[in-house]
Amino acid sequence: MIYLIEDIINGILMGSIYGLTALGLTVIFGVLKVINFAHGSLLMVGMYVAYWIITATGIHPYIALFIAAPIMFFFGYYLQDIIIKPIFKAEKNVREPITVIIVTTGLWYILDNLTLLIFGPQYRSIQDNALKGAMLEIGEIFISVPKLCGAITAVITALAIYLFFQKTKTGRAVRATSIDRETASLMGINQYKIYNIAFGIGTAAAGIAAVTLVPFYNIFPTVGVLFDIKGFIIVVLGGLGSILGAMLGGIIIGLIESVGPQFMSSTWTEAIVYGLFLLVLFIKPSGLFGIKQDW
Amino acid sequence: MTKEKINKTALILFLFIAFTIPLFVRSATYLHILILLYFYAYLTTSWNLVGGFAGVLPLGHSVFVGIGAYTSTILSLQYGISPWIGMIAGAFIALILGVIIALPTLKMRGAYFALATIAFGEGIRVMVENINNIGPLNINGPRGIQIPPTNTGFFNFMFAGKEPYYYIILIMLILVLTLTFLISRSKLGYYLNAGGEEPEAAMALGINVAKARLTAMAISSFLTALAGTFYAQFTLYIHPKSVFSLDLSFEIAFIALIGGRGSVAGPIIGALLLRPVSDLSRIYFGSHLPGLHLIIFGAVLILVMLYQPRGLQEPLSRIYNRIIEKKILKTDK
Repeated sequence: MIYLIEDIINGILMGSIYGLTALGLTVIFGVLKVINFAHGSLLMVGMYVAYWIITATGIHPYIALFIAAPIMFFFGYYLQDIIIKPIFKAEKNVREPITVIIVTTGLWYILDNLTLLIFGPQYRSIQDNALKGAMLEIGEIFISVPKLCGAITAVITALAIYLFFQKTKTGRAVRATSIDRETASLMGINQYKIYNIAFGIGTAAAGIAAVTLVPFYNIFPTVGVLFDIKGFIIVVLGGLGSILGAMLGGIIIGLIESVGPQFMSSTWTEAIVYGLFLLVLFIKPSGLFGIKQDW
Repeated sequence: MTKEKINKTALILFLFIAFTIPLFVRSATYLHILILLYFYAYLTTSWNLVGGFAGVLPLGHSVFVGIGAYTSTILSLQYGISPWIGMIAGAFIALILGVIIALPTLKMRGAYFALATIAFGEGIRVMVENINNIGPLNINGPRGIQIPPTNTGFFNFMFAGKEPYYYIILIMLILVLTLTFLISRSKLGYYLNAGGEEPEAAMALGINVAKARLTAMAISSFLTALAGTFYAQFTLYIHPKSVFSLDLSFEIAFIALIGGRGSVAGPIIGALLLRPVSDLSRIYFGSHLPGLHLIIFGAVLILVMLYQPRGLQEPLSRIYNRIIEKKILKTDK
């Protein structure tokens, strides 16, 4: 019983981090109406950025967050500006341009293999960081400290993004563009700049997720693929475009992955995740909870 | 000379070259590269029926390659059934699976369809990797299946040299190209095209878009599985990570998108351009520049999408037509 409680707690914590990895995906979809297939690769880039900042300066991983997140914001901002924007301009009247999906797939392949080329295939991890292997002991229950910190960061990030969209002028412009791009641009909003900002925020969210992962996760060039597919599943489970949905979807996946192995071999839990995903996709493509875009 | 005559001569010349290549190219390495080139051109042409003509983006076609490869291999290793028969059996299993996948997914919009096919593909790969037996059938899970190269001969679909494989895949490719050519000029082809461009308008005209797409998916999965058996017999080793992999699904889609989706020549042009890049960079740079070909693939894909969204077949066929027209003008004078 005590193990089950421990698994549930760890599942919720890891699930919140999964939700954080998918947060950027949902924000980008909400505004650009495309699924960013390169999102996992952006997360991977973020992990390398965090890794180099932490190993080069020796600072605490969570201080590195304040350097990595802005770097990732501008990386995403200019990635969208230089590579994806021209396609939006060329296919102005297509509501959900499939070409953009294809281009982000191309980006995925370039980023992953460029990293492989430069840094090699070896697994890296940050050996001597304050959080590595730290455990919190409550009675007989052990809770991993880096996961707890990650989960807290995930909730704060989700709230921060929500408040940014609600309370700031730029945030309102982003929401307006998300609802109706034509009308928004008639109101004097530069929709392409809003796309850049949305893509930047999504990438920065991936960067924050990356920082929460590096204290306890291995870093290698194809690490993004794992989170890419998981991210797709999470956002569809929770409802594409919804921030709350991404967090809830992440927690569901986290729970299945951590509680599932109590009852079956852990590889089968992976098959169950895909099965659940397809089921939701067929029966209720708007997501398990039917949450519409909530920001 | 009329244009049609020139086209026919060019086609015959092309076929003649293709059939006589093994007489000149004796190097096993280059024959191997050519065989894989045809193999990918074949897969892409089959993919194109759904991904090109029907206008959706399937990203899980390696499932059908895997089904074809595993069905014929298990049947021949455990029951002594000729891989040729297993090939047909695998194709029918793939067809049924294709219909099962298509029924709920084909109504979905762009991105959802792509995600659903990825999930199907990955879900089935995970299962194959973790199952050792289905009843009496030995799948061998994560270890893959090795085919002992003992009984060569046509009945066993196993040959000592590479030349027979070359001719088999070449003929398969010619047949599948002929088939897509005929489909593209049939009622089904027009229905698919209309449904791909403007689904609502097509439906308003009384076209059953869903039925046309379902038919395309069934044919496509059937054809793809045939190539799976060929791959198993050619490499004599199949593994869930090779025949069921996401990378294979993506490579098929990449070749089609770069060559030109929805055209008969597109897959051939795509395979002709990309396969040599992939093979040669693996041979010459594989040890110190791993993944170089995938960077090139990605970059070419982005450039093509930016400047030639209908693929490279469009500018190439325009150039080809201009040359022919000049020739005709000259001979007329």
